[in-house]
Amino acid sequence: MFVFKKELQVLNIAGIKIGGQPGERPAVLAGTIFYERHSIVTDAKKGLFDRKAAEALINRQEACADETGNPCLVHIYGSTDEAIIRYIDFVCNVSDSPFLLDSTEAAARIAAVRYVSEVGIADKSVYNSLNMSVTPGERQALSDSDVDASIVLGFNAMDSSLAGRMALLDSGGGVFDRGLLAIAGECGIKKILIDPSITPMGSGAGVALRMSLVAKAKWGLPITSGIHNAPSSWTWLRAKKQEEPMIYKVCSVGSACLALAAAADLVLYGPIENARFVFPLAAMSDIMLAESNADLDISQVEGHPIQKLV
Amino acid sequence: MTEEWPVVRGDMKVGRKDSRIAVVTLASDFAPFADAALSGPCKTENLGIEKIIANTISNPDIRYILICGSESRGHLPGNTLLALHRNGIDGNGRIVGSDGAIPFIENLQRDAIERFQGQVQLIDRIGTTDLGEIDNIVREHANKGERYPEEPMYVIEKKKKAPAASRECVSGDILIDSDLVMDAGAGIIYSAQEA
Repeated sequence: MFVFKKELQVLNIAGIKIGGQPGERPAVLAGTIFYERHSIVTDAKKGLFDRKAAEALINRQEACADETGNPCLVHIYGSTDEAIIRYIDFVCNVSDSPFLLDSTEAAARIAAVRYVSEVGIADKSVYNSLNMSVTPGERQALSDSDVDASIVLGFNAMDSSLAGRMALLDSGGGVFDRGLLAIAGECGIKKILIDPSITPMGSGAGVALRMSLVAKAKWGLPITSGIHNAPSSWTWLRAKKQEEPMIYKVCSVGSACLALAAAADLVLYGPIENARFVFPLAAMSDIMLAESNADLDISQVEGHPIQKLV
Repeated sequence: MTEEWPVVRGDMKVGRKDSRIAVVTLASDFAPFADAALSGPCKTENLGIEKIIANTISNPDIRYILICGSESRGHLPGNTLLALHRNGIDGNGRIVGSDGAIPFIENLQRDAIERFQGQVQLIDRIGTTDLGEIDNIVREHANKGERYPEEPMYVIEKKKKAPAASRECVSGDILIDSDLVMDAGAGIIYSAQEA
């Protein structure tokens, strides 16, 4: 549909390429495992879970990736340091996929970056995320670690407009005395993915779509999105889910299409159970985007869904 | 109340609108409490808190807010609601004294916060998931005290965003066709010949 004038960066995370012009590379997809209330988790504080079920979910995501050509990452969520380290160990034992380190607790994120550095797997990890709540301890831990890839979140709670989100990344937006992108650089982050941040439906969720275009046009960095958080925050849709669960699933999975049409490179699609639905959808988007740019001098990399599936 | 209430929709369920108590269950999902004016979860320390305030100050019948259920890890909306009630916000909208990750109020003015502080007392039972205990507190406060002696305060309009700096195209940074470009910042697609 369009191409960016700016030279676009393509990141290499343990062999997986993320970024580039729309239609050029397959979308990269990351399913979340061990998320809050994940049925396979038996003790979220200690990080105890059904290992067989977890391995099956990771394997299925990888099988989907092989089938469509859309590379995958494992999005690991852990609520405590003990739990997230146990999860990282497990994922690395059963899979070669790179992974995202995510927690709502800064202490758990810090423990995770220390751990992956200690055991020599930092090059496979992506920090999720550097955002306006970043603590001095977090900055120090990242600086001291070998982690060099991070999502930088454009969520500005003081000004959630497009201008406010962009300002946070660019100049600090009144939160910092310099932009969050510069702060990421100071923390040793060389591979930056911009997440325009999904706020709830009715509170500016759609701003993220426009920011995807604007941020990519301005900085040329890959864009990531957890866009499924928009439908999951939608009260009306949750009520419809009681009526028919598939209605919710269609919206949750389908939201990935919107992010990809707005030039996202990596989609955090939510529960890893949805892999078998999301991968075909992303492949379809990739094929359509590739065809839309056929006369704009965009060619596809080897293994693109347009070569595998049509 | 002349306007439809609750003024901001969300996960909160309406019970008895003239009850003196509302229940915030944080990250816990309990069945609605019929004797509470409003009950339901609040999982975020910014937008979630704003909704509670907007729905509280638009109903002067509410004089108590019971905060219970499991705290939402990292976000800490319960801790944040207590801090807001106790300390208010600073000049940047940051909720003073909150331990939550991103505790900011963006869409409410200071007078709304002050009204909230004056209208309700908070009952801190963060961590309580015993439904019998919660129900007892609800019933104890459902008819307690007088209505707040002021008119409902409506703050549902979002703070006006600054308009885009310009609708003029500055540069075409996305190519759509050989003679058609988009200025991503302005959000306009236009002919390159017009640039």
